[in-house]
Amino acid sequence: MSTTSVRAGTRTPQKQIGPRWLSNVLAKYIMAFTGIVFGVFVLVHMFGNLKVYLGPEHFNDYALWLRTLLEPLLPYEGFLWLFRLFLLACLAGHVYCAWVISARAKARRGKFARKGLHGFSSFTARTMPVTGIVLLLFIIFHLLDLTAGIGVATENFQHGSEAGSFAYQNLIASFSRPAVAIFYLLAMVILFLHLAHGLYATVNDFGITLGQKARSTVMLLSGLFALVVMLGNITIPIAVLTGLVS
Amino acid sequence: MRLTIEVWRQENPDVPGFFEEHAIEGAQEEMSLLELIDYLNDHLVSEGREPIAYDSDCREGICGTCGITVNDQPHGPVPNTPSCRQHLRSFKDGQKLRLEPLRSAAFPVIRDLVVDRSAMDRVIQAGGFVAVDAGTAADADSMQIGHGRAEKALDFAACIGCGACIAACPNGAANLFAGSVLNHLSTLPQGKPERSKRARSIIQEIDESFGPCSVYGECAVTCPAGIPLSAIAAVNRERARAALRRGKDD
Ligand code: HEM
Ligand code: FES
Repeated sequence: MSTTSVRAGTRTPQKQIGPRWLSNVLAKYIMAFTGIVFGVFVLVHMFGNLKVYLGPEHFNDYALWLRTLLEPLLPYEGFLWLFRLFLLACLAGHVYCAWVISARAKARRGKFARKGLHGFSSFTARTMPVTGIVLLLFIIFHLLDLTAGIGVATENFQHGSEAGSFAYQNLIASFSRPAVAIFYLLAMVILFLHLAHGLYATVNDFGITLGQKARSTVMLLSGLFALVVMLGNITIPIAVLTGLVS
Repeated sequence: MRLTIEVWRQENPDVPGFFEEHAIEGAQEEMSLLELIDYLNDHLVSEGREPIAYDSDCREGICGTCGITVNDQPHGPVPNTPSCRQHLRSFKDGQKLRLEPLRSAAFPVIRDLVVDRSAMDRVIQAGGFVAVDAGTAADADSMQIGHGRAEKALDFAACIGCGACIAACPNGAANLFAGSVLNHLSTLPQGKPERSKRARSIIQEIDESFGPCSVYGECAVTCPAGIPLSAIAAVNRERARAALRRGKDD
């Protein structure tokens, strides 16, 4: 027990968490911007993933197209690498600000955590740090599994080249492992929880003051967006597990 | 009514607090939460024990002085209602009530259920006022504003400064409180000349004592003045606006 005396009117000195220039408002703007980038990315990524239903050629062509995009202006995989760098910068900003915000929130609440929260929105808000960490682990797993082809990837992972891509074969091989398919499936549920609250929060973080009705609409739309991303992606491990796609 | 009360006792800020249990008989459904404590205190005093310290003043929901946490809910179980306006009819006969002070790191306990809310005063001192010459009360009438705008300003001016939004926030954020001040004053002509300056200083001050907002929405469920949740977005909006108006007061 600390024995610092409080005198009414005096400010209790607070430990500075994160740099001073990173105000709470700025941190939330960064979270919101990077969060939207990820949100749009996972939606587009999901549409790309759904090409798996159009067959191996179509899917692999799409993977190759991503690598030859803007050629000859950029070299092979040039655009892809620029885009990866951009996403990596966003991820770094998102994760760092998430840490700063969570740590500050914990410190400023103090010893007595709030209990008895109301509703789904508070549940998803409270679980943002946890669902975020799961997503981070998922991203690492996913990149090792289907991009780098090391560690957790299957033994017969084939690297693509300018001649063609094996994205389809690698995907099927990976998802044919039931544990992996289920992990992907669960990760999508986690993504749903993170996005449902996250997208709703961005509207607020961008300083858009909405009335009660518009706020409910935004909440609903965020939930729908997150639901579409989750359901679209989830069909794939299920399709592989049930042999619909092979 | 029979009730079991678990109440937070803490003699001063320097000692740890603890819960003390009391069995209460003869409480009435019409009693407010504060009257329940009065009732209990009568007993305590007649037994020669220390009464439970708590804050109150108007007891009609307009001053913002009262505020205790009841079964984890700041002000009590009824949404948007101050402790002084919550009654025992919300509880069942034989129920246990856990009474705590408003909880947040920015609100150190002074004694029992009384907390120090001066961190909120500092936010008001930072910019919750109009410092340009706004004339006398009669002069305000010479400045015509639309009815809708006046109503909107009043919605946010309704804040009674009780601090329950902060105690309701799992992050200890004061965005509903600060946002209500910012929204109120930026809506009226008298508040415009210092709009950016006010945003900078108020938001800097909330960063000193309070947490970041994660849009839980708990504050608006609790607020006895019914401040709309959109107030929290006003903090980010006003700060961004002020950043774009670097070096300007308005
Ligand atoms: C596909 C990956 C991800 C997507 C689509 C995503 C999306 C979002 C969005 C849209 C927000 C709301 C931003 C705002 O507050 O306005 C958010 C917030 C948040 N994200 Fe993520 N995120 C992802 C990955 C991560 C990762 C890897 C972490 C941490 C390790 C993380 C931790 C958080 C936390 C803690 C918040 C809440 C911040 C707060 O309390 O206000 N996220 N995310
Ligand atoms: S005592 Fe005045 S609001 Fe409750």
